[in-house]
Amino acid sequence: MSMQETLTTASTSPQAAGQPSSSGSKFTKSSPATWKSRGPNHGPNVRLMRRIIAEDAEWSLAIVPLLTDLCIRHIVKNFRNNPILTQLLPEHQQKVLRQLPPDLPLAVTANLIDDENYWHRCCEQRWPVCHLDCHGGSWKRLFFERHLENLIKHFIPDSTDPAVILDLLPLCRNYVRRIRVDQFLPPVQLRPLQHSGDQSDSGSEGEMEEPSMDHYQLGELVAGLSQLEELDLVYGIKDCGMNFEWNLFLFTYRDCQSLAATIKACHTLKVFRLTRSKVDDNKARILIRSLLDHPALEKLDLSHNCIGDRGARAAAKLLSHSRLRVLNLANNQVRAPGAQSLAHALAHNTNLLSLNLRLNCIEDEGGQALAHALQTNKCLTTLHLGGNELSEPTATLLSQVLSVNTTLTKINLSCNHIGPDGGKQLLEGMSDNKTLLEFDLRLSDVAQESEYLIGQALCANREEARQRGLNPSHFSAPLTAKGPENPVG
Amino acid sequence: MNPPVPLGILEDKEEEHLATQVLGPSINSDNPQERIQARRLRIAARLEARRREALGEYLDGKKESEEDQSKSYKQKEESRLKLAKLLLYGTELVTNIQVATDIRETHRRVEEEELKRQRLEKLENEVKTSQDKFDDITAKWEESIHKKIPQELWEMLNSQQVHCAGLIEDKNKLISELQQELKIKDDQYVKDLKKQSEDICVLLERMEEQVKTVMKTFRQELNHIELLRQSFGPANLGVSALDLCVVGVGSWIPWDLPTPSGRKSPFPSRPQKAFEVERQELLSSNKKKWERALQAHNAKELEYLMNRLKKVEDYEKQLSKQRIWDSEEYNMIKIKLEQDVQILEQQLQQMKATYQLNQEKLEYNFQVLKKRDEESTMIRSQQKRKMNRLHDVLNNLRSKYAKQIKQFQEENQSLTSDYKRLVIQFKELQKAMRHFVLIDEEKFWDFWVMNEEEAKGLISKALDVDRIIHTQHLGLPWTAPDFWFLKNVGPLFQQQQKSATQILEEVLMQTEEEGSEEADQELESYLDLPKQVSASTTRKILMLLCDESGFLIESKLLSLLQPLEKSECYLLRLDAIFSALGIESEDDLYKLVNFFLKYRAQHLSSQEEEMMPALEPVPKGEEEEEKKEKEEEEEEEEESLEEEEAESLVEEEEASTSPRLIHPNDVLKILEAFVKGLKKPRDARAPVKLQKATRDNSKDSDYWKALATVIPRSRQNLWDGLYAALEKYHLVLMRRAELLQECNTLEQQNTELQQLLQKYLGSKINSELQVPPTQVLRISTKSS
Repeated sequence: MSMQETLTTASTSPQAAGQPSSSGSKFTKSSPATWKSRGPNHGPNVRLMRRIIAEDAEWSLAIVPLLTDLCIRHIVKNFRNNPILTQLLPEHQQKVLRQLPPDLPLAVTANLIDDENYWHRCCEQRWPVCHLDCHGGSWKRLFFERHLENLIKHFIPDSTDPAVILDLLPLCRNYVRRIRVDQFLPPVQLRPLQHSGDQSDSGSEGEMEEPSMDHYQLGELVAGLSQLEELDLVYGIKDCGMNFEWNLFLFTYRDCQSLAATIKACHTLKVFRLTRSKVDDNKARILIRSLLDHPALEKLDLSHNCIGDRGARAAAKLLSHSRLRVLNLANNQVRAPGAQSLAHALAHNTNLLSLNLRLNCIEDEGGQALAHALQTNKCLTTLHLGGNELSEPTATLLSQVLSVNTTLTKINLSCNHIGPDGGKQLLEGMSDNKTLLEFDLRLSDVAQESEYLIGQALCANREEARQRGLNPSHFSAPLTAKGPENPVG
Repeated sequence: MNPPVPLGILEDKEEEHLATQVLGPSINSDNPQERIQARRLRIAARLEARRREALGEYLDGKKESEEDQSKSYKQKEESRLKLAKLLLYGTELVTNIQVATDIRETHRRVEEEELKRQRLEKLENEVKTSQDKFDDITAKWEESIHKKIPQELWEMLNSQQVHCAGLIEDKNKLISELQQELKIKDDQYVKDLKKQSEDICVLLERMEEQVKTVMKTFRQELNHIELLRQSFGPANLGVSALDLCVVGVGSWIPWDLPTPSGRKSPFPSRPQKAFEVERQELLSSNKKKWERALQAHNAKELEYLMNRLKKVEDYEKQLSKQRIWDSEEYNMIKIKLEQDVQILEQQLQQMKATYQLNQEKLEYNFQVLKKRDEESTMIRSQQKRKMNRLHDVLNNLRSKYAKQIKQFQEENQSLTSDYKRLVIQFKELQKAMRHFVLIDEEKFWDFWVMNEEEAKGLISKALDVDRIIHTQHLGLPWTAPDFWFLKNVGPLFQQQQKSATQILEEVLMQTEEEGSEEADQELESYLDLPKQVSASTTRKILMLLCDESGFLIESKLLSLLQPLEKSECYLLRLDAIFSALGIESEDDLYKLVNFFLKYRAQHLSSQEEEMMPALEPVPKGEEEEEKKEKEEEEEEEEESLEEEEAESLVEEEEASTSPRLIHPNDVLKILEAFVKGLKKPRDARAPVKLQKATRDNSKDSDYWKALATVIPRSRQNLWDGLYAALEKYHLVLMRRAELLQECNTLEQQNTELQQLLQKYLGSKINSELQVPPTQVLRISTKSS
């Protein structure tokens, strides 16, 4: 044993070459340690990989391999039928894991193997691009989340066996924290070719849809996932090409109700996103009603839907009945009454940090109501009111808010009709403010001069905030926050 | 996914150029507002770029000015600012596209809404008109049923057909219009899609660009910092720079979606190498150090070992030496001790011999002592006897002593009783004296008044005379003389200020003899107490004061006062209290009493009425007593009747209120208030000690003399002169009166004579006479 060790190490590390002569007993202990510590660091490197292979002298040298090596090889070969891992010594476990093929059935590996390197190999084998950061830095989690997402994406109701997904449930329940599905396939039509042929015949389509246009019901799956924190859904179809039909993008009432029941039952859910799914007022109300008094929900994103004032009112009610921190209603149809009810809820809210109402039409009435609410609110830090047909009166009120409020750090008023006078008033408001870090006034008819001066004030504020030393890298925060929005636009 | 744009690292201006190019389609779009927006965006972007440059330069300049700070810090700061700016403007550049899309979308929505509204209006109009037409047609169908002639019917049908065709044509037109619109919309949609895809392309390009520039700048800055680090060499600087770099890159990862993870690695590789080299250098140097230290340690260890061995040997040697020495010593000691034992045995023998001797001696002594003991017992008994005798003597003496004490106590008691009796006698005497003084005073008063009246009568008479003389005889105006003594009634006496203690004395004395000398009290000087305050009230208040404010009295005085009588004790205590409170004159005392009464009045006014009926019997008894006394002193009765009644009223009040005159707890409060009120500056505190009984009669003689000289000496002289003159005048008048009388008699005689003459003349004789006398007489009368 020791003889062989010295031989292998002598070939690998010239640094350690001098040592075996001095004290043999010590070296045999220390060499595997150094060798092991190097392994993970240079794992991906091809050159080092080769070295590792060379080290396993079984192939190159015609010596009879050790019994342990033989055993390990056997274990690896029969791992599918007889998985033995936990009983082994740590160093042997490492060896086994390194040699296991990545295409083993999940039923065997899922709950047995925690080694990140193995799952890394599994992921790289399946997907060319992997974003570890989006999955909490864990390759295993990444693997299971993407695997599950894939299954859901390609699930066709009525024709796919639901057991395909539910069988996976006991394997992945402890690792999946997020489900991000941007496609739900509708059930297969009886005459799909005919439909694609005559698009003008809309009457028959309507008749055909009605019996079953419901998508996959997440209820059972979500109920089984004990760690689920984020749900990001888009009821739509990708890459439909010329087979486009309106009913492919249909979020039905049954879908809505089952989804509502699902999220209500999931007490660990922190982030819920349902975007680009044609959620109208009634559906939004059903969903939000199920979210009232939810114990964990912090982030709600219903952007790019068709939510109107009633949905906004429901969201306002949710604000006062939950611990919601981020609310995104961008690109909906919220008008002044909806914004007023949101403002009413916002006035005494102490949880909400970010509110996004981009591309709605709240107009001055809603804008003024929100500004009034901000005079009493002490919590909101980010407010996005871009593209809301706001004009000078809102700017007047907002300038008053700026001089009073000390929590807001980001305001976006781009794509409104603030006008030069409104810009001047905002500038006045900015002169009293020391906390605002970002203030977007692009394309809002504000005079260049006042925009420039506001920019100067913001610069000063940023510098001050940095000097406060609490968060020196505040530049990174807004960028990452904006990140997910960009692909949508 | 990323479009393979072979863009190098562009300068800012080029980027701007690119941006304008990208926005080109929007400028060329058919929507004028959109074009305007696009142009504005372009202008804004240009201005921004210019501003950025200016700002950058400005900031750089500023940075350079801070030369005093360390170069590394400066470099870091510079890099940070530059990178922050870069990130900020890069983000803005990228999000510009989003904003532009947003505004386009909002404009589109507004337009869409307008169009929708128009379309709906149009459709509604259309529905109305078509409904009208349809109604017309249906009405005509009704008509057609009644037509009988086929030609007319045919005509009718034809016209109906034409109408229907018109209606359908209208509808078709509308449909085709709508389809047209739909087509336009479709085109628009396709265009929008294209535009959006272009936008996305631009976005991606820009992102790519941004990533590249950011990476480049980060690398540059890192290099700068690295260079600095290499030149300066503080390890933590490099680490912080790396942190900065990593943070920056980390924030950019989401932008960098398609880039594989390996892409990050090349750029930090260079600095990493430098770090590695440095680390290795450090490592080797540290290792060398460590080895050196280890060698030194080994050498030292060896040295220590050798030392230890040497020491062990030494110690062993020492130990053996010690052992030998010890055994020798042991032997020596053993021999010595044996010798000692022998000596001690010899000594023991000797001691035994001496013991024998001593025993005999002691026996002898014992005998002697026994004898002595006997003798001493004898003496003791004698002494005991003597003691008994002396005890008897002592007891006798004690009994004698006790007897004598008793005797003296009795004597003392009798003497004290004598003394008390004498004091009472003295008091009675005093009372009597006071009584007599009063009577004397009264008598004196009567005499005085009598004399005065007499004198005044005389004076008035004299004055009347004077007045008559003046007015009637001298014809002068008379003025009544105005003298002070004329108005005086009763004996002269000056108001004396009594000291508070005197009053006290009086009060106490009088109230002590309460019932019996009510009348006396009224005559006493302390009647000039305020009317509503009676003696007993005052007494009670004072007693209360005395009891409650004992703290004002010195303890020494208290001990002195103990053997004295109660009233005297009170007097002295009150004296002390007053001196402490600063009450000296009579007025002060009255003020105090009034103060108390006022206080009580305030407190009790409400409760008094309830108590009145219950307490009525008591004053009645007192009144009866008074009546008896009144009978005895009848002469005073009348004058004092009214006062008596008044006093009885007062006493009633007193009796009702005295049980709870003032609560003892309130006394201190009242005193406090009073002392505060009394704190006026006092002038000349000389207490007027006046002898009590002596009346000042020095002015009496003056008074009487003055009464005597009401008519002054000059006036008297006048009167004398006048008297003499009047005498003379009287004489003259008397004479004149006599003369007048004479004259009258003479006239009478004359008339008588004349009558006689007439008679004579008338008598017949005359005629008979030659010369009648009548003739003669006539002549004479005539001549006369």
